[in-house]
Amino acid sequence: MQALLSFDQAPPIAAPFRFFLTAPVFALLAGLLLLASGPQLFASRWTPAALALTHLITVGFMLQVMLGALIQILPVVAGANIAHPLRVATLVHALLAPGALLLVVGLLTSDPLALRLAAVALGLGVTAFLAAAGRALCGVPSGNATILGLKLALLGLGVTTGLGVVLALALDGAFAVPLLQLTTIHLAWGFVGWSTVLLAAVALVVVPMFQMTPAYPNWFARFFFWSVLVVVAGWSIAEVLALRQPAAVLASGLLLLVTVFAALTLHLQRHSKRARFDATQHYWRLAMCCALAACSLSLASLLLPEAAASLQLPLLWGVLVLFGSLMSVSSGMLYKIVPFLVWLHLQNAGGGRILAPNMQQVIAKRQIDGQFYAHLAALALLLAAALQPEWFTYPAAVALLVASGWLLRNLLAATAFYRQHRQRITSLARATPAPRPG
Amino acid sequence: MQTITDFMASDHRSCDELLVTVEHAVADRRWGPARAAFTLFRAGMLHHFSAEEAILFPLFEQSTGIFRGPTQVMRAEHAQMRQLLAAAEAAVAAQDADDYSGNAETLLIMMQQHNVKEENVLYPMCDQHLAAQVATLLPELQQELTSGRELAR
Repeated sequence: MQALLSFDQAPPIAAPFRFFLTAPVFALLAGLLLLASGPQLFASRWTPAALALTHLITVGFMLQVMLGALIQILPVVAGANIAHPLRVATLVHALLAPGALLLVVGLLTSDPLALRLAAVALGLGVTAFLAAAGRALCGVPSGNATILGLKLALLGLGVTTGLGVVLALALDGAFAVPLLQLTTIHLAWGFVGWSTVLLAAVALVVVPMFQMTPAYPNWFARFFFWSVLVVVAGWSIAEVLALRQPAAVLASGLLLLVTVFAALTLHLQRHSKRARFDATQHYWRLAMCCALAACSLSLASLLLPEAAASLQLPLLWGVLVLFGSLMSVSSGMLYKIVPFLVWLHLQNAGGGRILAPNMQQVIAKRQIDGQFYAHLAALALLLAAALQPEWFTYPAAVALLVASGWLLRNLLAATAFYRQHRQRITSLARATPAPRPG
Repeated sequence: MQTITDFMASDHRSCDELLVTVEHAVADRRWGPARAAFTLFRAGMLHHFSAEEAILFPLFEQSTGIFRGPTQVMRAEHAQMRQLLAAAEAAVAAQDADDYSGNAETLLIMMQQHNVKEENVLYPMCDQHLAAQVATLLPELQQELTSGRELAR
């Protein structure tokens, strides 16, 4: 109830924006890493460079976008206000951004100090965020599926990070843990228990409302989140106990759940009533298609483990999930959230007396469309590089740099637009008398 | 019996439908039908606002004693949406498809994040606190909402 009383408190624009502007910098670093390490990066998913690249995207890009967006949407969707949002954002960001860099350095060089510092910074950063979000959500009933999904996603983030911290500390052999098993479990919680659950919770609201599709069916909203949690937890236990058969069955169950979400979302989007699709909708569809493709690859390697081991399947899978799915949907969401927040804060600066320029003026449409095509080209080249590293690694690295640089350029343009108009609107508002009420 | 949440959320959806009709007409540059559809949409929105501001919110405020909470925020957001409606209306009148789409897209996001807050937080609170009055409240709200549609036609 306390949270509801102040449910107007949109966090200051600087709280989410620091995360949004940092994210593409990590994607740029991923491009540079690919350029520097060349085709060897694709020798296996276990090369230091491949592990570092993966975490540049997940802990660097994804975590920044997801936490920035959560600070913004928790009050809207759940009426859960994070207390002192700017202070929380500053602290979390100050821990996570260097933490991600240290982790990448640690993975590249196997330097125990870098890995330990990364574990501490990332562990503290995520804990601080979870504490703040947990406090805001505590007491908000999970009556609707989105709120339940958000809570379970945060649990998934906690488990993913906890396992990640243990792995980072154990990598130098300081203490013995089953590294391979734990890595697989860390990965499943990261991709499904955290990312997919968060995405589905957000999709339940965003897809029907902004893309004007029919609502997700009741059975999906009611069962999806608990099913994912039960199956991923059951599968993790089966993995730890080395119960091969049950683990395989539960893994297929997990794949089926992700497939249902992606297929259902694509099906709903086909019934969108919007007159035409914009970049955000294209990004969503691309993400869902890549998720379906990744699920098929996973299923193939479950059914034919020997054939799969000899192929480049894990690398293809990684490109599909990291770049095709997660980065696509995040970029698409940024193109809605960022211009809307710019508009909203400008509108508030005008005190209701000055109408802010509408959100489509914040980032030029042709820049967004251009960046989307650059992203598509980068995806195609990265997939090709996973299959033929010798030919395609360098072109893929350049394409990734172009797409990420373009995303950064677009977000910086939005920030510049905000600064420029804020000054104008504030001084105009001061000179304009207040309107009559009503 | 129907809840306040279901009743008001279904009116949100019918406003969405009206906005879609305008969007298609504008996309095809059919300005006559676009203007007519916009008039209906605008009337639907304004009467939804007034049903809340004149009937639902005061009742909520009186029965909970919360005057400076969610209802105050919702009123402020209504004011912002009224400004966007005016900007979109001017764009339809000027037959400027780009300006319309920019204002309508902003309005859509504003509307939907507003609707999420109402449907997830405020309406359930209304259902909780106004359970005894629902039988008389819903027909009153219905009357305010339909009067808007009839006037626009």
